Amino acid sequence: MSPVFAITAIVGILIGIGVGLLLLILYGVGVYNALVTLRNRYKNAFSQIDVQLKRRYDLIPNLIEVTKGYMQHERETLEAVIEARNKAVSAQQVAAANPGDPTAMHNLGAAEGQVSGVLGRLFALAEGYPDLKANQNMLALQEELTSTENKVAFARQAFNDAVMAYNTQREVFPASMIAGIGGFAPAELFEIESPKEREAPRVSF
Amino acid sequence: MDYFQSQDVARKKTGLLVFYFILAVVVIIVSVYAALMAILSWAATSGDHETAHELTRLWDPGLFGLVAVGTSALIGGGSLYKIAALSGGGHTVAELLGGRLLNPAETTHPEERKVLNVVEEMALASGVPVPPVYLLEEEGINAFAAGYAPGDAVIGVTSGCVRHLSRDELQGVIAHEFSHVLNGDMRLNIRLMGVLFGILLIGLAGWIVLRSSGGGGRSDRREGRNIWPLVGLALYVIGYAGVFFANLMKAAVSRQREYLADASAVQFTRNPDGIAGALKKIGALAEGSQIQNPHAEEASHLFFGNAVAGFGQLFGLLATHPPLVERIRRIDPSFDGDFSKVLMEPITSRTSEPAPARRPERFEGARMFSTAQAVARVGTIAPAHLAYAAGLLETLPRPLSEAVRDPLSAQATVFALLLDLDDSVEATQLSWLGRHAIPAAVRETRLILPDVRQLAPESRLPLVELAAPALRRLTPGQLHDFLQSVDVLIQADRKVTIFEYALQRLLYRHVVSHVVRDKPPAVKYTTASPLAGPVSLVLSALARVGHDTPDIMAQSFEAGAEALGWHNVRLAPIVDEPIGIREIDVALTQLAAASPPLKKQILEACAASIGADGRVTVEEGELLRAISDSLGCPMPPLLASGEVPSPA
Repeated sequence: MSPVFAITAIVGILIGIGVGLLLLILYGVGVYNALVTLRNRYKNAFSQIDVQLKRRYDLIPNLIEVTKGYMQHERETLEAVIEARNKAVSAQQVAAANPGDPTAMHNLGAAEGQVSGVLGRLFALAEGYPDLKANQNMLALQEELTSTENKVAFARQAFNDAVMAYNTQREVFPASMIAGIGGFAPAELFEIESPKEREAPRVSF
Repeated sequence: MDYFQSQDVARKKTGLLVFYFILAVVVIIVSVYAALMAILSWAATSGDHETAHELTRLWDPGLFGLVAVGTSALIGGGSLYKIAALSGGGHTVAELLGGRLLNPAETTHPEERKVLNVVEEMALASGVPVPPVYLLEEEGINAFAAGYAPGDAVIGVTSGCVRHLSRDELQGVIAHEFSHVLNGDMRLNIRLMGVLFGILLIGLAGWIVLRSSGGGGRSDRREGRNIWPLVGLALYVIGYAGVFFANLMKAAVSRQREYLADASAVQFTRNPDGIAGALKKIGALAEGSQIQNPHAEEASHLFFGNAVAGFGQLFGLLATHPPLVERIRRIDPSFDGDFSKVLMEPITSRTSEPAPARRPERFEGARMFSTAQAVARVGTIAPAHLAYAAGLLETLPRPLSEAVRDPLSAQATVFALLLDLDDSVEATQLSWLGRHAIPAAVRETRLILPDVRQLAPESRLPLVELAAPALRRLTPGQLHDFLQSVDVLIQADRKVTIFEYALQRLLYRHVVSHVVRDKPPAVKYTTASPLAGPVSLVLSALARVGHDTPDIMAQSFEAGAEALGWHNVRLAPIVDEPIGIREIDVALTQLAAASPPLKKQILEACAASIGADGRVTVEEGELLRAISDSLGCPMPPLLASGEVPSPA
C-alpha cells in the first residue's frame, strides 16, 4: 500500500468519524435547545400567574380598609388576612425569581391556600353585616377579587401544562442524559393547597 | 418601493444569497484541497522517494472527492443545524440574546408599559399582528426585530432604551424596526446567521485539529513530517477567511438597509426628531448601542445600532451599520457632530401618557382617508394611521383595555363581541357557553358585555387585534376549546356575517398561525388567468356590500376590474346567484397562493371597488380586512367615513 494511499485513507476515515461526531453533537444540541424552549415557555407562563397574584394581593389592603369600618370587632380575622397576605407576597416574590422550583412552588401554593382560607372566613363573617354587604366599594372589590382568582386559576392551568411538557421532554431517553448534563432541573407544578377547614361563622346579633 | 415590490426583492435577494453561499463552499473546497495537496507534497519530500514519485500529479480525484464531501457535510450540516435552531422563530433569537418577554397584563412598570403601548400603536397602524416584545437587560441603547414573516415578528428593546429615550424617540426606533419587519428583511437576516455558522465550522474544525495535534513528536514521524498541525492551520485560516468575506458581504448589505429603515421611520412618524434624537443619544451615551451578550456578534445585523464595537470593525468595512454621524446627518442636516450637547435626561417613572400636543389634531385628520391611499399604504405606515391607532388606544374604555390583556378575559371579550343582539339567540349562545365553556369565562363575558356593546362598530376588529397577544398565551388545548366556542357562537343564528368572518380570519392570522406554527402558503399562481374566477367572485361580493342599487354595484365591479389591470383576462360579475361566506372563503384560499405582485393588484382592485361610490362603510372595511388577512398582507385600518374627499 503506497503511503499516499494510506494517508488519503486515514484522512478519509478521520473526516468520516469527524462528520459522525459532528452529527451526534448537532443532535445533542438540538435536544438541548428543545429543553431550553420548553423551560422558557413555562417561565413565561408563570409570569401570567404572577401578574394576577400581584393584583390579588394589591386588592386585599383595599378590602381591609373597607371592611375595617364595619367590622371593628372582628379584628382577629382582619389581622389574619393581613398576615396571610404578607406571607403570600414574600412567597410570590421568591417564586417569581425561580418559577418551577419545587420549594418555591410548594411555599407559594401553601401561602395562597392560606390567603384563600382566611378570605373565605372574612366573607363568611361579612354575611352578618348587611350594611357592609350593600356597600358599593365592597361589592366592586368582591367582584374584582373573584375575577382575579379566576384568572389565577386559568393561568395556573396553562403553567402546569407547560411544566408537564417540559418534564416529559426532560425524562424521555436520550434527552434525560442531556438534561442532567445541561443542568435542567425538574419543574414543579403549581398546586394551591385547599384552605384549612373553614370555621363555623360566628354570627352575632 | 412599496411593500409588494420589497417582498419580491427580498425573495430575489435570498436567491442571490444561496448563490454566494454555494460559491463560498466551492471556493473553500478548492482551497482545502489545494492546501492538503501542498501539505502532502511537502510531507512527501522529506520521506522516501516512493512517495515523491507518487505525488507528481496535482489532481487526485479520490482526495478531491473526500475533501468535497467532508467540507460540504461540515458546512451544510452546520448551516442547516443553525437555521433549524433558529427556525423556532423570532423568539429563539430573542432568547439567544437573553431577552425577557414583557407581559402585556403587567402594568406596574410604567416604562415597560410605555414600550408596549408604542409597539401596539405601530402594529394597529400597519396591520401587522401585535408582536411580542422582549426586554434585554443591557445598558446600551439598542433594539432589534427578528422573525420569518411579518406575522411571526418579535421586537426587542434594551433597558437602556427604556431608561434614556423619550416616547417620541422610542417611537422612532420602533418605527425603524417595523420597517425591517415590513420589508421582509428578517427572514434573510436569520438565514444569513445560519449560513455564516456553517462556514465558521471549518475554522473551528481547523482550530480543534491544531490544538489536538500541535504537540509535535507524534507517531507518523517515520512517514515524514507531521502534517496534522499544518492541516489544522490550513483549515483554520481558510475557515476564518471564509467568515471574513462572508461578514464583509453581510455588512455591506446591512448598511444599505439601515439607511432605508431610518428613512422609513421618518416617513411613518413624520417626525424626524424622534429617530434623530435616539441616534444622538446613542452617540452621547458612553455605552452607546453596545450589547454585552456574547451572541451579539452573530446577531449584529439584526440590531438598530452597532451592537459590537472595536477592532472587529476594521475601519468600517465590517460594520453592520453606517457611521452614527452620517445617519444623523441624513435625517437632520444641521447636526454638527458634537455629542456633548445632547441632553440625556433620565426618564424617570412617568406614566406612559402619549405625547400630548400633536395627537388630537392628527386624529381628526385621520378621518378623511381615501381607499386608494389605503392600499398604496399596505406595508407602510402613514402618520394618519398612527394617529388613529393612538386615538383608539386612548379612548378605549379602561375595562376593555384591561380585559384584552389577560388570556381569560380576552376570550370573554371575543365571546361578548359574538353575542347576538337578538335576545333569543343570545340566550341560546349563553346557555351553550354555560354548558361547555369554563364558568369563569362565562362570568367574564357577562361582565364585559355592556362595555363591548357600547363600542363603535369600526373599533370591534381592532379590539380583537389588541386581544391577540393575550390569546397567543393560550396552550394549544385551551386555544382549541376557545376556537370551538367561537365557531358555535357564530353558527348560533345560522348565518355568518361579514364581521364574524373577518373575526375568524383575524384570529387565524394573528393567533392560530403562531401557536400552531403554520407556514404561509406556497406561491402557486404567478399569472393572472387561473385567478379570474376567484377574483370575479370577490369583486362581486364587494360590489354587493355597501352598495344598494344594481347600477352602483355594476359600477363598483367595473372600478375594481379596471384597477386590476389584467387586460387579457375576462372578469364577469356574478349577478344572479347568491354569494355566501363559504364561496368567498374558497376564493380567498386560492388567492392566498398568488405571487406578491398579483396580490397587490388584487388588493388595489378591492379598494377601488369599495371606493367607487365615494363612501366607505364599516362592513366594507371589515370585508377588506378579511381579504387582506386571508392574503397575509399587513393592511392598515380602513376608516369609515362620510364623503371621501380627494386626496390632499
